[in-house]
Amino acid sequence: MARWLELTVEANVEAVEAVSEIFGRLGRGAAVRPTRLIRDPRDELAVREDPSAPYLVTAHVPDDGDSAAALEATERALWHLQAFGLGPVGALHVSSVEDSGWEAAWKAGYTPQRIGRVVIVPSWLDEPIADGEVELRLDPGMAFGTGLHPTTRGCLALLQRVDPMPSPILDVGCGSGILALAALRLGARRAICYDTDPLAVATTGANAAANALADRLEARRGTLPAVPAERVRLVMANLVAAVLVELAERLAVHCRRGGTLIASGIIAERGEEVGSALRAAGFVERDRLEDGDWLTLGLERT
Amino acid sequence: MAKKIRTILKVQAPAGKATAAPPVGPALGQHGINIMEFIKAFNERTASQAGYVVPAEITVFEDRSFSFVTKAPLAAALLKRAAGVEAGSAQPNREKVGRVTQAQLREIAETKMADLNANDVDHAMRIIAGTARSMGIEVVA
Repeated sequence: MARWLELTVEANVEAVEAVSEIFGRLGRGAAVRPTRLIRDPRDELAVREDPSAPYLVTAHVPDDGDSAAALEATERALWHLQAFGLGPVGALHVSSVEDSGWEAAWKAGYTPQRIGRVVIVPSWLDEPIADGEVELRLDPGMAFGTGLHPTTRGCLALLQRVDPMPSPILDVGCGSGILALAALRLGARRAICYDTDPLAVATTGANAAANALADRLEARRGTLPAVPAERVRLVMANLVAAVLVELAERLAVHCRRGGTLIASGIIAERGEEVGSALRAAGFVERDRLEDGDWLTLGLERT
Repeated sequence: MAKKIRTILKVQAPAGKATAAPPVGPALGQHGINIMEFIKAFNERTASQAGYVVPAEITVFEDRSFSFVTKAPLAAALLKRAAGVEAGSAQPNREKVGRVTQAQLREIAETKMADLNANDVDHAMRIIAGTARSMGIEVVA
């Protein structure tokens, strides 16, 4: 198995490009990671780098007969940087790492997940499925909804309290399609999904095909229309607080009286704000799950 | 589905030719990101930029899903093109390999402005000028 030398330098924001250029001379590019992020407590999606904190710049060279010369040249070039008016650059740290097969190593942290009767199984694993359980084959990728987040798990838990499972069902902000696919496995005959992200729409379609459910699921790009083509008895909306507030009335228009809305993506401190908007739109809270900082609400359309 | 962000990271990889080798594999692998899905998408998006090393900014969500955007080429690549040189200097304090004008510097700074976390164009120009000097590229009027 190949060994690599991992080179890491802590650099001020002004020096990141120059350090990247020096690491680039080693022939393999570099990786850059901010050491601090600034989060807006009022907006879960507002995360940005803090440029006042250092960045970690990392590169790798094969640990072979040429590595000593490469290291020496890199160290010399980094030393020269101090003279060119850029922000401070820390010492070069070098460690030896083994190529453990990065292509496959990322999979190591994934195991089948059981959320009630729903079992989420990555495509590269086989998992025995017990009587009464339903299986979803799903790989993590470029669409939210792997089953690892409390909001997804909360929605899946409340979904299993809906009895009987109505049809069709509506999934607003479908991401990977995990909620709609679970609803289909739990008895819904047809699912309609919306997402503003075209990648999510494509991923939902691909995941439906991988689970042999493509003929029962329709994934549409865009937001929930103001006027529904048909009203449904179950709406799932794992969004964020601000979008739930914005869409509250529209969610109500799409949900039949007596029907259920499962709403999540609600950071706990904004729970009252979202609850108030949904109550004003015609929903009554019937169920609530709290997991860490996140709330999932089960509501009835009155 | 709305996304809850865990962290942000950046990798610089050859356009159209990224592989699971460093820097991509270790950088993404430690966050449990689907490396092959990233590589496939990155190579598709950057196929037309062959020959450049392209930075990608990856947003990692709390459930290990991710998204990414590609950025302008590294300042070093833009400087080498503007100066008409193949490589930077190994001894930038003594051996100069080329020069760029203030106007070229400004153009590069404006191209890279969004990626540099600079306060304004003047700050971005100062960063690019420092990078140029560290490569043995002089900045002239």
